[in-house]
Amino acid sequence: MTMTKSQRRRLTKTIRYAVLTIWTIIAAFPIYWMVATSFKPDNQWFSWPPVYFPDPPTLDNYRNVWLGAQQYAVTQYAISSQKPLVSLWNSTVIATTSTFLSVLFGSMLAYGVSRYRILSEARMFQLLMLRMIPPIVVVAPLSLYYSAIGLLDSRTGLIIVYFLTTLPYAVWMTKSFIDEVPREVEQAAEILGASRWRTVFEIVLPLIRSGLVATFLFILILTWSEYLLALILTKTQVTTLPIELSKYQGSTEGRVYGRQAALAVGITIPLMIVGLIIRKHLARGFSFGMVRR
Amino acid sequence: MARIELLNLHKSFGAVQAVKNLTLNIEDCEFVVLVGPSGCGKTTTLRMIAGFEDPTSGEIRIDGRVVNDLEPRDRGLGMVFQSHALFPHKNVAQNIEFGLRMKKMPSEERVKRVREVAEMVRITHLLDKMPGQCSGGESQRVALARTLVTNPSTFLLDEPLSSLDAKLRRELRAECDRLHAELRRTFIYVTHDQEEAMTLADRIVVMRVGEVVQIGSPMEIYSNPVNQFVADFFGSPSMNLLPGEVVHENGIARFRSIRFELPLPEQFKAARPGAGTLGIRPEHVGINLGSGGAIELPVRLVEPLGKETLLYFDAGADRAFVAVSAGLKMVDVKVGAPVALSFDPRRLYLFDTDGQRVNV
Amino acid sequence: MAVATLPTAEMTAGKTSRAASRARAIKRFKLSLLLPLIVLFLLVLTPVLLLQLYFSFHQWTVYLSTWWDAEYVGFDLFHSVLTDPRFGWAALRSLAFAASSTIGCFVFGFILAYLMYKPFRGQSLYYIIFILPMLTVPVVVAYTAEMMLYRNGPINDAISRLLGVDFQASWLTNPHLALTTAALLEIWNWTPFSFIIMWAGLTSIPKEPIEAAEILGASKWRIFWEVQVPLLRPVILLALVLRFLEAMAEFPKTWALFQGGPGSATETLPVYIFMTTWQYFEISKGAAMSYIVIMLMIVIVLIAIHLLRREKCALDTMYQRRDEGEAVEV
Repeated sequence: MTMTKSQRRRLTKTIRYAVLTIWTIIAAFPIYWMVATSFKPDNQWFSWPPVYFPDPPTLDNYRNVWLGAQQYAVTQYAISSQKPLVSLWNSTVIATTSTFLSVLFGSMLAYGVSRYRILSEARMFQLLMLRMIPPIVVVAPLSLYYSAIGLLDSRTGLIIVYFLTTLPYAVWMTKSFIDEVPREVEQAAEILGASRWRTVFEIVLPLIRSGLVATFLFILILTWSEYLLALILTKTQVTTLPIELSKYQGSTEGRVYGRQAALAVGITIPLMIVGLIIRKHLARGFSFGMVRR
Repeated sequence: MARIELLNLHKSFGAVQAVKNLTLNIEDCEFVVLVGPSGCGKTTTLRMIAGFEDPTSGEIRIDGRVVNDLEPRDRGLGMVFQSHALFPHKNVAQNIEFGLRMKKMPSEERVKRVREVAEMVRITHLLDKMPGQCSGGESQRVALARTLVTNPSTFLLDEPLSSLDAKLRRELRAECDRLHAELRRTFIYVTHDQEEAMTLADRIVVMRVGEVVQIGSPMEIYSNPVNQFVADFFGSPSMNLLPGEVVHENGIARFRSIRFELPLPEQFKAARPGAGTLGIRPEHVGINLGSGGAIELPVRLVEPLGKETLLYFDAGADRAFVAVSAGLKMVDVKVGAPVALSFDPRRLYLFDTDGQRVNV
Repeated sequence: MAVATLPTAEMTAGKTSRAASRARAIKRFKLSLLLPLIVLFLLVLTPVLLLQLYFSFHQWTVYLSTWWDAEYVGFDLFHSVLTDPRFGWAALRSLAFAASSTIGCFVFGFILAYLMYKPFRGQSLYYIIFILPMLTVPVVVAYTAEMMLYRNGPINDAISRLLGVDFQASWLTNPHLALTTAALLEIWNWTPFSFIIMWAGLTSIPKEPIEAAEILGASKWRIFWEVQVPLLRPVILLALVLRFLEAMAEFPKTWALFQGGPGSATETLPVYIFMTTWQYFEISKGAAMSYIVIMLMIVIVLIAIHLLRREKCALDTMYQRRDEGEAVEV
């Protein structure tokens, strides 16, 4: 059956919108549920039939979780030892510092690979694959090593680990941006008297500003949401937000969905804002040299 | 000042030999043009002089001193790139003063110098603009200014005009000429455009596949090409090249080609018989309507260009045989009409089967 | 005005430090760029790997005071791990989980990318919504899943209403369903990643060959198979490899949500190693397991590198790029 161009176009459009709408619901619903639950009073957290819209919406969960306002806690749901604001601070410091280090040294390394071939192509792939080793296999000796040198349960310890695990991504992503800076611009600077370091910091890096930002924000997503390493390498002094969230799952507390949702929303919103800011660069950053334009 | 010597320079990229055994002396204040087709090694040579490529072997000397191991910035050179390579994130003034900042010149002096140079290339009105806002011609002037301001002893120019349209190219070409005359510095210029080479150079270095083919003044290159390649490369329209053979009959040397045969002038009396190519530039072919010339061929195409007219003939070679007539005298010649052509005997060239010029 | 001349021999005799030797300067520069990487590796990665290696050959339990007193047991630990059926099952679960979620991510990601890569109305809004799942923290996904998937929860409710039957699957408590649930969560979480990579690939294919094929009479289907897919091979491979490797290492969803249960239904390799080390405190056995997993991953990774490099090579030739942009144009 041959269709005319407009018939085919209509059919395509219908299919496209149908599939996309289905996926929109699939993608958006859990996020909606999380947000909705965070506004539900405690008797609607897991009632049956399920309540799809909080009635009436309440800020109690937020007040209890984020502000530690005990007066809103129903006794059996009081969670006394949590300090979300401290965790928020820890998460922010750890994530931003490790990301900054990663991008700084990663871009320097990427420059070296791009212009001076300090790492062969094989080594670059090996570097990327290094990141793919499951962290679980090194966490045990790492925690012993850290406790021996006093980095266990410290922000610095996590920063170093996050720096190490995100460096491969930083190198790969910034390299694709550096490759696009024409060499002649650097050579012009060189012959005019600029040293190599100056060329890197005054000429090359400013020209890939947007790429650096995108890389920074992408790695920030990774360090912000990391769970396993934070779980093992911190005990009481330092908690990051993901760990904070898991504390609400203790068996003594029961199913405090509303509270969890309120905390979860707080963890997720910054990340979503960041992700939406850089969405245009995600495609380029994820290509790892496999896409040519 | 600056005398540049290249001694037995070799450069290989893996299995590819980009430059083979290049030896060249460039005198102070000369305007030297390295010219040749793509892949001939001219840009590689320039980059070796600048210091961006290390020679595989050989020496580069500036003023008698070996500079192979010196950084580009320590060689006292200035370079203008094909893509002008301005810093996109700095404005024009910042671009120009960059070299002076590297030399730690104090700020007030820098401003003065930048202004001086900007006046010299006539871009004072652009000083606050960003490179993205400048046209191709303007950008190239900024690139020139940026190099000028550091006062190098030698200027290296890597095809600076090839990204410009024909009119701009002529303008900036004149600019280069003027600067060279005013500044009295050594200019080393790379191009693939033979016209640029002919008009700008004091000396031309013709290169091909990594080797120097001929070095000489534009006049020499034009009238005394050392082989067929050089003869063909220079001159527009290109030299007519007719394949055929040299034969000796009754003590007279003759050239026999598919469509015609003609006696060779005195100087070829001792030419060895055998296959060869005859060369004559279109501008040296005399045209007589009617008969009475060395050969007679029917016209295939008439191309009036205003200041001259080109006539195309079929002489049995791959390319058409071209003759040039000044003005529009020949414009009414009919296609197919036989035209008698005569050759200035002093302007005939003979090349052997290897393309080498047969000398007299 | 003074000309910048090359310093004469006499002048530079005392200033050789300034006119630095080019070859040496380059070497120094390259080394200082590599330095952070080398330092990190030497100070953190190597000791840790060596320590782990040590433990896999020495039996140590927490009751021993110092770890260097542990007794050497040769390959016993490795032997016990490899003969441990639970380890084998964990490996199988990991592979099943990784494979199924990778394929799921790829299929959905590709369909979405294909439907989205030509501009249309509302495209950017859809794009925003589609990348949201990737921006949720994996732990959050785990806990939100719990809030939604309990027997009387909204998911079952919604499905019941849609299908008109009473759908009451025990997503979280049915051992036969648990791993599938985890895989579905992983797919939800990471489809955007595959989507973005595929989308980048599809949009990078030049329009002209496709239009030429259309005029020559090729159907959409044929164009898809003969023009687009071959050019997308490197990208597809990349999406599959990266996702698979990350899925093998997945921890938050299986642990935070299921703790490996119900029973051992979601006991993947990371979970089992975690439990062995921190719940049973069998550090040495955990170390041996870790090294076996490292070996396994290295094999997978080497295959992946080989395949990716081959594709990159093909891509380089296709676009006639030289490595590192060296201009051989002379």
